[in-house]
Amino acid sequence: MTNYIIRRLLYLIPVLLGVSFLIFLLFNVVAGDPTAVLLGKNATARQMEELREQLGLNKPLFMQYLDVVKSAFTFDFGRSWATKQEITYMLKQGAYPSLTLTIPAFVISTVLSLFISLFVAYYRGKGIDLFIRFLCIAGMSVSALAYILGFQWLFAYKLGWFEISGFEYGFPEFLPYIALPAIIWIILSLGPDVRFFRTVILDEIYQDYVRTARAKGLGEMTILLKHVLRNAMIPIITYTVIQIPFLILGALLLENFFGIPGIGGMTLNALNNSDFPVIKAMAILSSVVYIIFSLVSDILYTIADPRVKLK
Amino acid sequence: MKSLVIFILAIVFIGCTKEHQFDARELHLISPEKIAGLDPIHASDRYSGLEVGKVYEGLFEFHPLKRPYELMPNLAEALPQVAKDGLTYTFKIKEGVLFHDSPAFPEGKGRELEARDFIYSFKRLADPKLSAKGWWLFDGKVKGLNEWREKSSKEETTDYSAEIEGFKVTGKYTFQIKLVKPYPQFLYALAMPYSYVVAQEAVTHFGPEFLNHPVGTGPFILPKYEQSNKIVYTKNPNFRVKFYPSEGEEGDEKLGLLSDAGKKIPLVDRITVYVIVESQPKWLGFQKAKFDVIELDETQADQALTEERVIKPEFRNLGMRLVSSPQIDISFFAFNNEDKIFKDVRVRQAMSLAYDRKEANKLFQKGTGVIAQSIIPPGLAGYESEFKNPYVAFDVEQAKKLLSEAGYPEGKGFPEVTVQTRNETIARHQIEFFAKCMEKIGIKVQVGMNTWPELINKVSKKQHQMYTMAWGADYPDAENFLGLVYCPNKAPGSNGSNYCNPEVDKMFEEAVILQDGEERTAKYKALNEKIALEVPWIFGFHRTKFSLTQAWVKNYKFMEFNHNQAQYLNVDFEVKKELRKKF
Amino acid sequence: MKENSLWKDAFIRLTKDKWALASLIIVVVYSLVAILSACGFIAADWAQEVGASNLAPNAEHIFGTDIFGRSVFQKVVRGTQVAMSVGLATSLIAIPIGVVLGAVGGYFGGWVDDFITWLYTTFSSIPNIMLLISITMILGKGLFAVYVALGATSWVTLCRLIRGEVMKHKEREYVQAASAIGGGHTRKLFKHILPNVTHIVIINTSLQFQVAIKSEVILSYLGLGVQGEPSWGTMIDDAKLELARGVWWQLAGATLAMFIIVLAFNILGDALRDSLDPKLKGK
Repeated sequence: MTNYIIRRLLYLIPVLLGVSFLIFLLFNVVAGDPTAVLLGKNATARQMEELREQLGLNKPLFMQYLDVVKSAFTFDFGRSWATKQEITYMLKQGAYPSLTLTIPAFVISTVLSLFISLFVAYYRGKGIDLFIRFLCIAGMSVSALAYILGFQWLFAYKLGWFEISGFEYGFPEFLPYIALPAIIWIILSLGPDVRFFRTVILDEIYQDYVRTARAKGLGEMTILLKHVLRNAMIPIITYTVIQIPFLILGALLLENFFGIPGIGGMTLNALNNSDFPVIKAMAILSSVVYIIFSLVSDILYTIADPRVKLK
Repeated sequence: MKSLVIFILAIVFIGCTKEHQFDARELHLISPEKIAGLDPIHASDRYSGLEVGKVYEGLFEFHPLKRPYELMPNLAEALPQVAKDGLTYTFKIKEGVLFHDSPAFPEGKGRELEARDFIYSFKRLADPKLSAKGWWLFDGKVKGLNEWREKSSKEETTDYSAEIEGFKVTGKYTFQIKLVKPYPQFLYALAMPYSYVVAQEAVTHFGPEFLNHPVGTGPFILPKYEQSNKIVYTKNPNFRVKFYPSEGEEGDEKLGLLSDAGKKIPLVDRITVYVIVESQPKWLGFQKAKFDVIELDETQADQALTEERVIKPEFRNLGMRLVSSPQIDISFFAFNNEDKIFKDVRVRQAMSLAYDRKEANKLFQKGTGVIAQSIIPPGLAGYESEFKNPYVAFDVEQAKKLLSEAGYPEGKGFPEVTVQTRNETIARHQIEFFAKCMEKIGIKVQVGMNTWPELINKVSKKQHQMYTMAWGADYPDAENFLGLVYCPNKAPGSNGSNYCNPEVDKMFEEAVILQDGEERTAKYKALNEKIALEVPWIFGFHRTKFSLTQAWVKNYKFMEFNHNQAQYLNVDFEVKKELRKKF
Repeated sequence: MKENSLWKDAFIRLTKDKWALASLIIVVVYSLVAILSACGFIAADWAQEVGASNLAPNAEHIFGTDIFGRSVFQKVVRGTQVAMSVGLATSLIAIPIGVVLGAVGGYFGGWVDDFITWLYTTFSSIPNIMLLISITMILGKGLFAVYVALGATSWVTLCRLIRGEVMKHKEREYVQAASAIGGGHTRKLFKHILPNVTHIVIINTSLQFQVAIKSEVILSYLGLGVQGEPSWGTMIDDAKLELARGVWWQLAGATLAMFIIVLAFNILGDALRDSLDPKLKGK
């Protein structure tokens, strides 16, 4: 087990090399020169040249790439080109609002989906099953942007139930700000979650052991909660854990529209400003988190189901 | 079940919606752009300038009420003495002005402002290590400054103690600046946020974090900028004695803009600035009295105002006031004049003739824009309201004729043109409309959407056929606009249309070195008319700015350049308490 | 043959499911509309002014008109073409990459597999939005860039699924038997293994298709979408400016059109999975 974990963590090295190469290639080599935008509308050619020198854009490509690799392994991202702020600090500042939005939304949507899936699995094939599944799928078939525009206008403005936009630090001050984006998030994720959980649960229901249990005269509800759910938990946990890295990245559109100063908005800003150091930091960070959580998900898998051996 | 749970959640959350503060002398303002930090030398756009201007100050400022804009001393005791040759400026600053308290100073007490602080602040603009966005203001203008910059760029650390011929501290409160050549716009430069004064101790103490720890002399203090979507300023308790002006433009009295005349400023105790980029939340929040002032974009104007551009009754009944003011700006479609297809002036004229400005004005601004005849906007010396550019009229027949004379009858053989713009919905609509107009003379136009850096890059690398943009004045002098078609400024400089005409250049050079006066105005006018006929761009509009203020906001007048506006604003919280029930 | 009966079975099961059948019909109708529009038979004159600016829906213009007085209905129809082409092109790019890499990796194992696993791990650990934006920046804006950007980000899932499935099949008896007779690698892969993983491709495509359609809206919001032609994304993006003015019909028209096709693909995808592979668990 320890061996396996170490090996998997070592796998970070080639992946980080790959990520830094890809990001470097896309944003530094091909995308071109950020100096014009960094210097404003009255920039002179001479000044742009000086800035290129300062940012290290005149160094040979290989040396520039080495710098990227270096920051990937030291986690020293330096300062943003556009805002001149320290990136580690920007991340720290943005993480709080992002996580206050994504974590509750994620937990609620997962728990809710699980309940709904059990419910529809119990009534499988009946009208109510069909109806709820239809609702969930219908919910995810509307564009996120349409939800944002419509809901903000209706619930926040017309009905005045929530804050229209902005963010306050501290509980419970942030609640009215994150409620609406969180609800949109939940509606969008119920569809895929319920669909997946239901399939997993139904898969178990048709297993032999369920038949045996039924033959023993156990009630359907007991079977569902005691046996089926326990076995279905394995794929459910895996599925859930693997989504966690995306929470850290924040919700790009939602943050932007609801004025939440999180990491998602920060990433978008960086992309819009060719702010390479920030883009680089986000890519590296997200791949590290991604690898770690896929490892966690694999480990949970073995704990939940001892038949599976990690190799 | 799902909807039930959501409903319950909603109820829970509704209970939490916070009550708004109604009883403090506090302003709630909006910044529509993200604020990177509060270092004056990087305050290139109007919005970061507004934030910098709450904390920092410069030698001069523009009068908050008088129009056309009038320069008045701020930290300076008076306007400087200018030597006969127009090159040597002698400044005397106010005594007893204190910097904000800050850990950067001994015992945390802000020290007195001195003449050397200005020299230091100006040198920062020139420091190659800082790549200041405001360097262009001083570039090639001050004796010895470019040489110092050159030298410093080769050194490990910039030596601020080095003497520069053009900057001389002559006393604790006096200093002299020597210019290389006459630069009549120089005083305007000293009123811009770029040249606001900072303290060397603070810069050294905070190092690269200086941009988050503004230490100025201004009316408000902000101990630390948190890079969040909310910036909270409090009144500077040690602010020097400064009074609200007692005279303004005609009509200001009637608008109540002089009711605080002679009072000590700043007039409010706290300012909260909310950073909100999207249009919808800004407008919705204003209607809920979350914000005190809103500068309306086109969409918001459509909702707040009637077709005739007066405030809708439902908003007037809440006491909201409309402030409309012409902006000193111009929107345009620029040709890349180095593209051989646009070398022929007849092509440029034909496209200009085919653009239906009246309709565009109606569609996008409800007819409130002033159609631009040439490059100088109203409000600046050199603008002529009666001048009509024959190529700005809408005349498809004439356009077709010119196009066929240029060798493209009915647009035959004319390549498809892509107009580059910013990736914004409204910009897309404007080009779609432009395309519709050009179709009438047989020219196909495509929309090219770009992120801001992409657009800037395309323009500065000349990788475009046409682009559209608006230029807002940096200071109230037509030179700031005429320079946009001056050949030496071509890409990557501010002349993105790469228009080059030796005659225009000569006229420009002769005019800009003159001090403000009749002679210069005459030269500006002649140049403006010349440019009009040359059509280096398809001139668009000089736009009107509409702002709404809540009933309790006092002294709001739209200010293009004055970044110190916040200190003059006031809140009548009796009115606010009274009106609170209506929201 | 084994495969034939599987497909036949699946098809019969599918047609018995009313919902799936209805969805299939919707997809066919949308495809027809897209093809007709592409050939210029319908909605060719969407750019024509048909009335005043921003007319509310009425008997003459059932979805109203936009800011330039163009028919929103025509734009919705024309947008169908863009949406379907985005879905199709994305699949056409993603499927070959995903299938080939997945099959090769799963089949050969060893360093080839290591390399391919590394490649898709790298791709999937970078946030999609970064890849999308950088690709549209590099290729310039427009439909083509949208195709490539979405294609380049959606092969990863398919590749992982195919790889897993191929690994399973490799060990099966019939493939082992083929080895014994002396079949080459290519032959084994194409003749024996790939036909047995096609269902994954089909299910995955039906789900990817709708993801692509939805992504087009996000790209439009970011100003990276289709240009010079109406798309549902740009129409919804327009609503950003229009909604507060009370102009809701562009948003409604585009959202409705999109809702129906995305819903149809979702239901169809579910039904396909149930009938083709009850064990796939919707991954």
